[in-house]
Amino acid sequence: MRRIKSIPAKGLKTPAGTTARTFILTFFSVLFSTAMAVRRFPKPEFETNYIQPSTQIPVPRAELLAYLDVFVLLVSLSIVTWLILKKRSRLWVFAMSVFSLAYFGFYREGCVCSIGAIQNVSLALFDNTFVLPLSVLLFFILPLVFTAFFGRTFCAAVCPFGAMQDFFAFKPQALSSRLNTVLGILPYLYLGLAVLFAATGTDFIICRYDPFVGIFRFNASFGMFLFSGILLLSGVFIARPYCRFLCPYGVLLNWTSRFSRRHLTITPKECIQCRLCEHSCPYDAIEVPVTSKSPESRPVRVRKMMILTVFVPFIVLVFGYAGSRMQDTLAGVDSRVKLAKEVMALSGKQDAGYGMQDAGYKMQDDSYEIKAYKASGKTESQVYSEASAVVKKFYIGGWLFGGFIGLAIALMIGGRIMPVYRTDYVTSKGRCFSCLRCVDYCPVKS
Amino acid sequence: MPNRREFLNTLMRGGILAALGLLSVSLVLRSRDKNSCSNGFACSSCGKSQGCSLPAALEARQTVWQLDPSKCIQCGRCATNCVMTPSAVKCTHAYAMCGYCDLCGGYLKPGTKTLDTAAEHQLCPTNALKRKFIEDPFFEYTVDEQLCIGCGKCVKGCSAFGNGSLQLQVRHDRCKNCNECSIARSCPSQAFSRVPANKPSLLKSFGKESLEEAGRKGELNA
Amino acid sequence: MKQKIFIITGLVLLVGVIAIMLADLFSSKKADKANPYDYKMGELRKTDITCNGYIEQLTIKPALEEIHAVACGSGDRIYVAGKNGLEIYQVNGKPDGNFRFEGVASCMALDKKGRIFIGMQDHVEVFDQLGKPCNKWKSISTESLLTCIALTDSYVYLADAGKKIVYRYDMNGRLINRIGEKDPQKNVPGFIIPSPYFDLGIGKKGELWVANTGRHSLEQFSSDGALNSAWGEASMSADGFCGCCNPSHFAFLSDGSFVTSEKGIERVKIYSPQGKYVCMVAPPSAFVEGTKGLDLAVDSKDRIIVLDPEKKQVRIFVKK
Repeated sequence: MRRIKSIPAKGLKTPAGTTARTFILTFFSVLFSTAMAVRRFPKPEFETNYIQPSTQIPVPRAELLAYLDVFVLLVSLSIVTWLILKKRSRLWVFAMSVFSLAYFGFYREGCVCSIGAIQNVSLALFDNTFVLPLSVLLFFILPLVFTAFFGRTFCAAVCPFGAMQDFFAFKPQALSSRLNTVLGILPYLYLGLAVLFAATGTDFIICRYDPFVGIFRFNASFGMFLFSGILLLSGVFIARPYCRFLCPYGVLLNWTSRFSRRHLTITPKECIQCRLCEHSCPYDAIEVPVTSKSPESRPVRVRKMMILTVFVPFIVLVFGYAGSRMQDTLAGVDSRVKLAKEVMALSGKQDAGYGMQDAGYKMQDDSYEIKAYKASGKTESQVYSEASAVVKKFYIGGWLFGGFIGLAIALMIGGRIMPVYRTDYVTSKGRCFSCLRCVDYCPVKS
Repeated sequence: MPNRREFLNTLMRGGILAALGLLSVSLVLRSRDKNSCSNGFACSSCGKSQGCSLPAALEARQTVWQLDPSKCIQCGRCATNCVMTPSAVKCTHAYAMCGYCDLCGGYLKPGTKTLDTAAEHQLCPTNALKRKFIEDPFFEYTVDEQLCIGCGKCVKGCSAFGNGSLQLQVRHDRCKNCNECSIARSCPSQAFSRVPANKPSLLKSFGKESLEEAGRKGELNA
Repeated sequence: MKQKIFIITGLVLLVGVIAIMLADLFSSKKADKANPYDYKMGELRKTDITCNGYIEQLTIKPALEEIHAVACGSGDRIYVAGKNGLEIYQVNGKPDGNFRFEGVASCMALDKKGRIFIGMQDHVEVFDQLGKPCNKWKSISTESLLTCIALTDSYVYLADAGKKIVYRYDMNGRLINRIGEKDPQKNVPGFIIPSPYFDLGIGKKGELWVANTGRHSLEQFSSDGALNSAWGEASMSADGFCGCCNPSHFAFLSDGSFVTSEKGIERVKIYSPQGKYVCMVAPPSAFVEGTKGLDLAVDSKDRIIVLDPEKKQVRIFVKK
């Protein structure tokens, strides 16, 4: 092992793992470590005392550090949960979100995150050659487990995305409940597409459209910065737009949190109906009391319930069918399908047979995809059969995706028509990020 | 009524936790199912699907991105599509494969008659490839990593005219190991794959396969 | 009112973000942007084909897994050797026998009696026409890489790209002498073989020619190793040999002209016996980019037989 100078990356702070990274293996140690009888095309026979340098291969970030990240995640989740449920201190939660932004955001540069881990898990489920590192699995599982017990404390101050947007919520506006519900469908779409594309091995779209990774790395194309900028700007008025209306992991957290064992309560004791907290939530996650004078009678509720039980499967089927009809559009994202289309267009243009005497000899400028296809030695039919296998996957995937969206919409409608009855101001367990802003407004202290 | 709701809540929570547990257990056990490679990797780093030579003690569960130079067609996207500027992909010189040619296809612009190191004769857009006289008629070529932008121009020249000792590789001291590599997504030849972190190189070399292979192809996959 | 403006602004921006995502995801635009760093190999591969006096007359598709060597035997039968076997074709391309052997043939030559000498990495094996092994020479050295074999009536010349040397053997595998070692006194510069392509051939007068690829030249040696003459120059244009090390293979026409093949810019050309460029037989566009190892043979009617390992074809070119 020898040391090489680490390259100072432009505008990047050097990560703490540098010492581990700057150790390099020489090419030879890699080459000969297998202790095979290595025979090679001999190098020139030098007469001077020239010593051939060895090729240096930098070693990746130490594996142990991935588990350090998991450890930091676990500790921050625990601390944040304690701060939220026991200490009930907005200031400390804010401090933790600064730490998370610094560590998971700027130091770890946003990779790997729990949101993106959805895709790794999905792909691992469908492709058994894909290696899912344990650390990535833990990044996926741990926040969900915490949420199942304590609500979305992960969102409060561990997720760097959340922290980032939380700082930008300067002028949060209350959205109507209807708007909230309609926009609330978007995360389901995003989750459905992300899982669909990941499971088919097409793409990791959550990472592809990760709005903040460029900021975390101080390094992005202009387009990416613009994308992040627009999102953050919309977050000035619509607080945490990514968390509420895009985040696919939020869907999972939302549903897990609904059944959480101990969720944050606005008031530590009894609500005194002072209404001070009513407008304190920038995320419209406080449910106001609904004390309708005449609650619906039992037969009415039963009838509604029966309509729903018929309606839900129906809408799931309709959307599932619609999804399956979209297989071509969806599969069109896949590079294998794209290649097949290009190859098809190419073979349509080319006349069969190759005549040397053709004055042709045209050096037509193929796209790099076509060049790579030609260099790979694959046959046309191989490319087509690969693509059609992908499209087939998208047919099934389209049914599931559509059905999932149908279910989400059906439940949304169901949630709106079923009556609710509550007397106190409570947090919506599903949507609350446990940011503790409301707690500061509550005059009741423990 | 509140009791019933609480019970349902607990039931659902239990269900969610059980599902998560089942998911983790199945995924963990599955990735230990080593039917193709002792590491469970679908990598091409050893070129064969069986008999991976990695010792079990070094079993890596972490993966990093690497590109297979034998699939690379030097499209230039490594230079333009990496989230890093300059790219984390750089030209790596496998000296053991180099012919030390005077007329280096990776160093000189095609058609250059006079063999001098004048910048205008150099193929590399950033003059990152350095040439040093060893002895008649051999020259050593080294890559200045500070200058290299990973465009692969020299790689193309070297593999077309020479032995292919200049190869593009992801440099892991620079690579952020994104969950989804943005070069991999745009790579036209699917040369990028996740490889075991403890075996992060896919450099091809004459060493890995027998001489007869070298004689036939003039270049080898590691 | 102000609140409404804020909400609408936020919503418009949010919808904008989503629209950008969807447009990017589902757009069918090609990712193919012009490569600012493109090595314009296409320009180099464009060749002046006005002097292209040859056409491809016949294409043979051998069934061997890999093909590496081609030779022409009695009755202009075409012999193709490669991985684990050899195939024979009649002059019109009809199969005319084949046999299997163990190993990868890298080069091949036929003697007057029709025996087939096959070079395999570090040793030579001799077969008769039916594939019966006649002789197996012992390994030359572990570093050896035989890339060419050529026969005169009584000698066997071997080109060893690994050791970068030419050997002269007798027909029974006994080493007589080594040719081409660097020897300033005898004015022999030595072979520079940067890549594993190293060809030799016996000219029409029985003289030995060796391709010193690193010097882009063809050198003529006497059988005792004296360098008599040499020609060739490096050039990307058609009249010279391109890249670091070419020609990778060569053969002789009946009038003593040279047929050469190159890698890098794949092309087959003819040079006069004096080494003057005559014409192009097959331009780069006739080959898959990156093809290496275009072995050559010439039959009695001066048909030029090109082995294309990339397309796995034996391609026969004739004068128009």
